[in-house]
Amino acid sequence: MKRIDGRHLSLILWIVGFFLMWEFAAFLLDGVLHDPMAAKKLPYFHAVISETVLNADNILLQSALTALRAAEGFLIGALVGFLLALLMDLFGVVERMALPYLLASQMIPILGLAPIIFGLVKDLDMSRVTIAAYMTFFPVSLSLLSGFKSVDIEQRMLMRSYASSKFLYYRKLALPYSVPFLFNGLKIAAPMAMTASAFVDTLSTQNGIGSIIIVALYGGGTTGQFWPAVLAASLLGIVSYVLVILAERVVERFIPRAPKEAAGEAA
Amino acid sequence: MNLSQDRTEICLKNIRMRFQMKSGDPINVFDGLDLEVYKGEFISFLGPSGCGKTTLLRLIADILQPTEGIVTVGGISAAEARKQHKYGIVFQKPVLYDWRTVAKNVALPMEMMKIPKKEQEEKVTEMLQLVNLEGYENSYPFELSGGMQQRVGIARALSLDSEILLMDEPFSALDEFTKMKLHEDLLRIWEATGKTIVFVTHNISEAVYLSDRVCVFTANPARLAGIVDIGLKRPRNEDMLISSSYLAYMGEIRHIFEAGYEKD
Repeated sequence: MKRIDGRHLSLILWIVGFFLMWEFAAFLLDGVLHDPMAAKKLPYFHAVISETVLNADNILLQSALTALRAAEGFLIGALVGFLLALLMDLFGVVERMALPYLLASQMIPILGLAPIIFGLVKDLDMSRVTIAAYMTFFPVSLSLLSGFKSVDIEQRMLMRSYASSKFLYYRKLALPYSVPFLFNGLKIAAPMAMTASAFVDTLSTQNGIGSIIIVALYGGGTTGQFWPAVLAASLLGIVSYVLVILAERVVERFIPRAPKEAAGEAA
Repeated sequence: MNLSQDRTEICLKNIRMRFQMKSGDPINVFDGLDLEVYKGEFISFLGPSGCGKTTLLRLIADILQPTEGIVTVGGISAAEARKQHKYGIVFQKPVLYDWRTVAKNVALPMEMMKIPKKEQEEKVTEMLQLVNLEGYENSYPFELSGGMQQRVGIARALSLDSEILLMDEPFSALDEFTKMKLHEDLLRIWEATGKTIVFVTHNISEAVYLSDRVCVFTANPARLAGIVDIGLKRPRNEDMLISSSYLAYMGEIRHIFEAGYEKD
């Protein structure tokens, strides 16, 4: 109980600290340096919050739109990454053939790729889903593959002694063993999928949290919503990360892991 | 060793292994090794690291295949014997699944064989009794001591009722006291089940204490230098560890090692 209190306390301290630092920086800019553009460069945190509350309906709606497409892309990307890792682990040929392409795929800047995809599918939602999936599959695939590859040699020998089929090898050993690796990949991918979806928003001025940012930046008319939108977009990333952690906790109920120190002792 | 054919459980004939080294020439191990393991005996492969004792165990388990020669287990090829689950195997590490309870770990080979749940549960209870782990069914491996984990590994290896138990330095990572207790338990299990046990070790005392026969291996080149029949009566007990005949067997084995090295 005491430990949970401690954790909550540090979270509260972190939030209060963040708030104070922002306010202090804004005060420096506005009150000490007397920057005439202070309200645009770095408005007070409380001003951002009140602006967010004023535009809550729109911010929430556009955030939801961006987040839902990101989530769809995330799920598709995770599935593709999962299958790719499985195929690469099963067939060395696939790994040798696919890995250079996978690595190359991540070198293409999303800044250039997103307009290309949008130009091809001509649909904002589809582009959001595609780009989010594109950002997701790589870390998931690579993390899971490294999980599959780190299965202990003696564990493999044991499965061989049972004359195990490939299917049972994955079901009984490689998959449950690799669950922590899979979740590491998902944790990296989730905020990336959110950012990707929000980035596609900026390709148009129609909808999505990213479009609010771009309209506010260049349109000038809704300057007030710029900071709330940036705040909301950041929160989307954090929320997605937390959701993956919660999902991991649920899965750990069924596939428990050894606590780190105990695992070390056993070895 | 003029025992009749039907008493032979494992037969290794004219075994040669060639390991291609990354740097330079291949290394040849066992220059035409012949060995028979009899039904129900406790046989040890004893030697320093690099002598090929673990390699030989893996040949029997069909985890490795010989470059030359034939391995038969229970009258059939090692590959076929593996597919028919003729042996259970225990490694130096317990090799348990952290995400499975003790009971589920012991049941793993039976799950792989799709044995009915009810039967599995009965067998798990029986096996945990055999290795003195009643009451730990729902514990996780990381909650147990190293010795208890190895007991779970032994229970798992026995759960399919295979006639052969292959053990690859199973106690070498355990402390002396735990090891002694596990020796007692292993001998008791062996006497109760009548299994053929192939036991790999680098500990002379352990090999003499447990075995009917000790195969002494030397390294560089890896070869079987001699086989010593251990005539100590059964059941064995710790008093024997200070008996003159026990010490004589230890001396005999040491002598084989020394002779093996003088040749080099």
